[in-house]
Amino acid sequence: MNKRAKLVLALLVVALAGSLAAILSGRERTESPVARISQGGQVLEEIALDQVERPYTIEVDSGAGHNTVLVEPGRIRVSQADCPDQVCVSQGYISDGTVPIVCLPHSLLIEIVGGGGTLDGAAG
Amino acid sequence: MRTARTSGGLFRRALALLLGAALFPALAAGCRRGPDSVRETVFAMDTVMTLTLYAGSQEQARQAMDGAVAEIRAVEGLCAPEDRDSQLYALNHGDGAWVEVPGLQDLLERSLELCRATGGALDVTAYPAVKAWGFFSGEYRVPSQAELAQLAGRIGYEALELSGSRARLPQGMEADLGAVAKGYAGDLLREGLEEAGISSALLDLGQSTIVAMGSKPGGAPWRIALQDPAGGGYLGVLELEDCALGTSGGYQRYFERDGQRYWHILDPDTAAPARSGLASVTVAAPEGILCDGLSTALFVMGLERGVQFWRERTAGLEFEAVFVTDGGELYVTAGLEDSFSLAEGFEDREVTVIRE
Repeated sequence: MNKRAKLVLALLVVALAGSLAAILSGRERTESPVARISQGGQVLEEIALDQVERPYTIEVDSGAGHNTVLVEPGRIRVSQADCPDQVCVSQGYISDGTVPIVCLPHSLLIEIVGGGGTLDGAAG
Repeated sequence: MRTARTSGGLFRRALALLLGAALFPALAAGCRRGPDSVRETVFAMDTVMTLTLYAGSQEQARQAMDGAVAEIRAVEGLCAPEDRDSQLYALNHGDGAWVEVPGLQDLLERSLELCRATGGALDVTAYPAVKAWGFFSGEYRVPSQAELAQLAGRIGYEALELSGSRARLPQGMEADLGAVAKGYAGDLLREGLEEAGISSALLDLGQSTIVAMGSKPGGAPWRIALQDPAGGGYLGVLELEDCALGTSGGYQRYFERDGQRYWHILDPDTAAPARSGLASVTVAAPEGILCDGLSTALFVMGLERGVQFWRERTAGLEFEAVFVTDGGELYVTAGLEDSFSLAEGFEDREVTVIRE
């Protein structure tokens, strides 16, 4: 075998290994869930929930009012709000992309993108 | 020389084969990503909607999405009860005179059909009562018995007259299309998307109304969770293809006064929240407007009348339903027996299948 052939063979081995690695990692990789907080259509924050180590809060002010968002490892909720209906607070935690948390009066939306999940939506 | 060339060719061919084998998984992985999808969240019609479309290309999906969002805005513009430019506002403030409502003609006709079919359990003329309870403004109050009696006297879909593109309501009466407009919008969206060549989409028009077009890319049915009215997460899952869903429940919009819970689904007979023993009703049917209107009507009717209504369902009203009682009991009509399953944590819940 000449040098060029050896080089090509070496490259091939690398490509094969890389390809195999891509397959294996693809099989085992579950996308990590990211919580996206937006208000009035503007994205305010994106938080990788599996990288949250200890709980913390985010204060979101809109012209219409105020929401306190509680971020915990793997999950997120609105813990306090000065909206009249408190729908966002009573919804509690979300941890997957099935349904978002919405505070309609304040146009606040917390949705989880990425992450696995066997449900496509929720009725109710 | 000749031998060398041959072996060189062989070697090259072997190399090409190996290279192909090495790259194949990467290519296959690319295919596995499936068709292009676009997802958009829209604040409209007093709720938040999430539309997910799958198409052959990103561009096609994007274009179809723009059309869908425009359609939602158009329906919203027609039937926003407090928008002075809406045709519904014009109808409600017509003071007993005929009003031109061309954009509402189809929706009003369909709505009145449902009011009649349900014997008035669905009534689209309850807007004065909805307002009196504060369900539109969010400034909740409990009207007195005398006020409720007076309000109930102003509810009656029979008084809503249609003549071509014109409609009229007696003075003092007002229509509210909130129980049907989202389902109607979902039907229009589906038609528009089909025309745009979209065959797979999940249209979540605020959770109470969902239109599932086709199946998921890859052919699996859509898996839609049903909320536990008692707030325990999802109690069940429906697997659906080409189907709409409508859910009405007392937990969706309510307020509390003196330990009593008051929700937004009113009984047209009393102008007060419907207390029929049901916590939620989910209706599955091909059409969104049917799901939307019937879920409200069945919630008002209660389990016994609701089941009877399902058994007697007349032509054109083909639907299936899931009833959840105040006590958490589950009743599923026969047509959903195979597509309904209990969710994790609810496996012990007893499910009664309602048969013909």
